Amino acid sequence: MSDARDMLCDTARAVLRGADDIAPVEEVGFALLLVAEGQGGVGGDWGDANAVLHIAGMLAPDIPVADVILSGLGDVSMPHRAAATVSLMAGAMGQALALSIDHVNTRQQFGRPLGKFQAVQQSLAVMACEVAAVDAAAAAMAARLDASGFDADAAVFEIAAAKLRANRAVGVVTSIAHQVHGAIGFTEEYDLRRVTIPLMRWRGEHGNDARWAQALGRQVASFGGRGLWENLTARAG
Amino acid sequence: MQSFALYPFAPPGDVAALRADLRAWLAEHQPHDDVVKRANCWASFDPDFSRALGAAGYVGMTLPAIYGGGDRHPLERYVVIEELLAAGAPVGAHWIADRQTGPLILRYGSEEQRERYLPGIAKGELYACIGLSEPGAGSDLAAVRTSARETAEGWRINGQKIWTTGAHFSHIMLALVRTEGGSERNAGLSQLLIDLDTPGITIRPIIDMAGNHDFNEVFFDDALVPHGALVGTRGQGWKQVTAELGLERSGPERYLSSHALLIALIDAAGADPEPAIAGLIGKLTAEMWTLRQLSMSTAAKLAAGEDPMVEASVVKELGNAFEQDMPRRVRAIVDCAWDDDADLARLLRALLIASPSFSLRGGTREVIRGIIARGLGLR
Repeated sequence: MSDARDMLCDTARAVLRGADDIAPVEEVGFALLLVAEGQGGVGGDWGDANAVLHIAGMLAPDIPVADVILSGLGDVSMPHRAAATVSLMAGAMGQALALSIDHVNTRQQFGRPLGKFQAVQQSLAVMACEVAAVDAAAAAMAARLDASGFDADAAVFEIAAAKLRANRAVGVVTSIAHQVHGAIGFTEEYDLRRVTIPLMRWRGEHGNDARWAQALGRQVASFGGRGLWENLTARAG
Repeated sequence: MQSFALYPFAPPGDVAALRADLRAWLAEHQPHDDVVKRANCWASFDPDFSRALGAAGYVGMTLPAIYGGGDRHPLERYVVIEELLAAGAPVGAHWIADRQTGPLILRYGSEEQRERYLPGIAKGELYACIGLSEPGAGSDLAAVRTSARETAEGWRINGQKIWTTGAHFSHIMLALVRTEGGSERNAGLSQLLIDLDTPGITIRPIIDMAGNHDFNEVFFDDALVPHGALVGTRGQGWKQVTAELGLERSGPERYLSSHALLIALIDAAGADPEPAIAGLIGKLTAEMWTLRQLSMSTAAKLAAGEDPMVEASVVKELGNAFEQDMPRRVRAIVDCAWDDDADLARLLRALLIASPSFSLRGGTREVIRGIIARGLGLR
């Protein structure tokens, strides 16, 4: 991670923690993040956008940070919005995991923290795998968008795969997070719903599972069986 | 942990050329195996192929040239093995020696051991098996009881290993044994490199539920191996084995070994698949693509000299689940008779039967999730 990205993330955390409207995000200039330096922008890459949106998904999922960042692109397509949503989802899932770990280490029942029970440990391990998968998918998708100069058509394979993978993680992540939290996680007062409800919403926005599964499946069918691997390896790595 | 550490996968040199050269080589040298043999191909034993692959420089790639290796970067080896697996090449004979025994000998072995074993491994001619599990030590590996007592002539080994993949065709076993009498649990264990033609060793087959002979039980009855069979430091076997498992759990075989089924499904579906099949192909592709990212990142962390114990466990957990689910999901959608002899149907049958083993071998699902939970700070 570059120094510039570290600073960007520090700024994002400072602005987004506790934020309840979009004004401070606009003030800090995130609309210029993806605008080239020659055009008066910050000249950030999609990896930067992924990092900021990850933080937005953790800390301020109800604020339309993605819209502000994408506005810098000018011509924004549905796959661009899907890509931005994947990054938000990765952040929100990371936050759901962090809250869950914190809760099971604190809450005691039967005389010990919930996290000492194997059944709870195994559930959280399953959840952590899903979170890791969505993080990795978001990063690889961002790398492809950077390699294609933000061309969503050229990156549509990766966007489809990443959004589909993120969508499919939503059920596991939200259900385990709520299960290990017990009743407290179901209250309005507690922070868990601040990330789980947006996750439920995002799964259906900018392409639900069926939408991206059809698109990706048909693209792969056009590659042919052996062609899938050839395409996969030619696209990156 | 909180988050899986993502490492950029950046092998040195021209990766596209490395892939192209290997694909051209495979086009000429890969046997025209039956499609079922191409699935689960890291269990396909073919010493002629292993030897040819070694001669072409694709085995022992990361070992130093002075031991016959290729002096290549670990991520170049990664590219080669993912290509071999995706092609369904029969890599089973040399697989364990190349993946973990060779690197372990290089890291912990004596100069004599390196000179004696590494050149054969790099040629694709010397095969190894892993002596960990015992009848009383499965998931609870620290319960190992096979003993090695140091005598004037060497180490006297007594006990039994079980579920030993490939013992029947391997030349050597890297075994975890108890060298300190009266020791308990993970203390007092050491690794010994055992020539399997040593008198006092008996290898018996165990036929698996698919009818295949992959694993064995191996009995040690006062088998005598030289003092020089000790690998690394006496009493440090547990630590060394942990490093070995990192190599064992993170590789692309954890998500690519059933790739032949995905290929067959796509080919059977044709260019204009019906929606249910297109949707399944899309979902399987998204999962496979994501697993590849996780596996490459873990390989990069390993190549950077760090211990990816938790990341490797995540790859294994998700990879096993993917490979177990895939034949079940295909079975649920594709209409074919159980004994149909089309490629897709035969592959499906073979993988459905093989798939229960995926979340058992190399660490059970429950053990792997326990390691991940420890990474989360819960244990």
